[in-house]
Amino acid sequence: MNTMTLYVEKDSPVHHLDPLVKLLYVVAAIALTYILPEPLFIAGVLFVTLLLLLVGKVFRNSLPILTLSLFLIFSLVIVQGFFHPDNVTELFSLGPLVFYEEGLYVALILVLRVLVMIGSFSVLILTTSPDEMVERLIKKGMSPRIGHVILSVLQLIPQMRATTSKITDAQRSRGMETEGSMLTRIKAFFPLMGPVVLNSLNETKERSIALEMRGFGSSMKKTFLNEEKQYPYNKLLGGIIIAIVILGIVWRVMA
Amino acid sequence: MNTFELKDVAFSYSLDIQIFDGLDLTFDSRTTAIVGQNGAGKTTLVKLMKGLLKPSKGTLLIDGDSIDKQTAAQLSRRVGLVFQNPNDQIFKTNVLEEVMFGPLNIGMSRNEAEKAAREALRKVDLESKAEDNPYDLSLSERKLIALSSILAMDTEMIIFDEPTMGQDFAGKEKIKAIIEELHTEGKLVLCILHDMDFAAEVFERTVVMNQGEIILDGPTRDVFSKKEVLEKAYLEQPYVTQIAHALGYDESFIHESELINFLNKND
Repeated sequence: MNTMTLYVEKDSPVHHLDPLVKLLYVVAAIALTYILPEPLFIAGVLFVTLLLLLVGKVFRNSLPILTLSLFLIFSLVIVQGFFHPDNVTELFSLGPLVFYEEGLYVALILVLRVLVMIGSFSVLILTTSPDEMVERLIKKGMSPRIGHVILSVLQLIPQMRATTSKITDAQRSRGMETEGSMLTRIKAFFPLMGPVVLNSLNETKERSIALEMRGFGSSMKKTFLNEEKQYPYNKLLGGIIIAIVILGIVWRVMA
Repeated sequence: MNTFELKDVAFSYSLDIQIFDGLDLTFDSRTTAIVGQNGAGKTTLVKLMKGLLKPSKGTLLIDGDSIDKQTAAQLSRRVGLVFQNPNDQIFKTNVLEEVMFGPLNIGMSRNEAEKAAREALRKVDLESKAEDNPYDLSLSERKLIALSSILAMDTEMIIFDEPTMGQDFAGKEKIKAIIEELHTEGKLVLCILHDMDFAAEVFERTVVMNQGEIILDGPTRDVFSKKEVLEKAYLEQPYVTQIAHALGYDESFIHESELINFLNKND
């Protein structure tokens, strides 16, 4: 069963890191862009993030995600450049619209921040299997129910997609056209959605019974199937990340 | 329809795994069972025949005319396919409407469709449930409704995917009677099966598939006598054949009645 995940299975130092450390990195990297909103500094964080993507051998896989954000980046530059309230220094004008330097500066910070967010989340998501992450979080005390919700949502969508294609086949076999004009497609909607919804409801009911049969709701302390992975540099890396954040705060307060 | 022919058909879901590579197979008026272990390519084969999948190479012909350009919906007038899981198709709140869906799609008038639907429900003995909600019925009854929804379309060829799964003896007898009736009406009947006893009892011809290839094809009796080849495809002979063999008889039996008569005579 394939799940809906962006996880890329590879062998790299980043893949072997503790998911929690990577999660901490995401939080720290984004926090730093707020603590020290200087373009040069944020560019530094971005550089480290991109470096992690490279080391994790997933830089290529992160490109589509970054491309998707281009639209946001583009609109940020336009809106800030033309309309930021602090705008004074004119850079160039397009007819009646004037593009300002201050706006561009603000946009630059925002754009870099967006890139850091997307990049750091990519580091986490592309190099961590959802199973590993959820299991790690449950071991740290997250409710197994929430863990189940996260994992089942990732599974549900491909599962529904598979069901839908089966149902489409069954209805096409009974002479229903699914391609063509808008009207044909609208007509095809109910014959397709009816079984999809009913099947999903049935499956949910059966799944919850199956889970209960195996003691999912029991209040006993749960054990784990997978042996706990060893993450040797855990404390060190976590410590370094936290230290950098604290340093950033100190810098900000002092300056 | 006299023949349905697959010529040099190739197909794969992904680049690295080839399902069929140059498959040649012709179905004729003999009722035919397709057997083979899971993943042998049986369902893929019938999906190709139904136009739900398109071959990467080769042609499909009905009575010698290519059907490559026809969509599944267009083909549905000529070839009917009964799916394994009835829940994948049932969406009406009333059995009769559900069975009428196919006939209406292929252009029958409401009157004709209702007549065809009632007739099809009569064949599966569910006429009395015509006004019920399909989801109030049992799974085996829903399977029969899915079956009758294809019967009502009155196609020249009918393909069944695992019709006996989950059916009790009475259900199997019903399906057997339907297959025989379709055969006498001159329709092509093709059936994917895991139930060797049912295959042996009902079908004139049996095709054994293994990893996308036809390893046996012929009269059912001949096919089921080839124990070694069947074992290669991880299939067993029908029980009656196994029993006769265990009793030390060399003749190949595929019907219970044959063995019983034989034993009675020998007493």
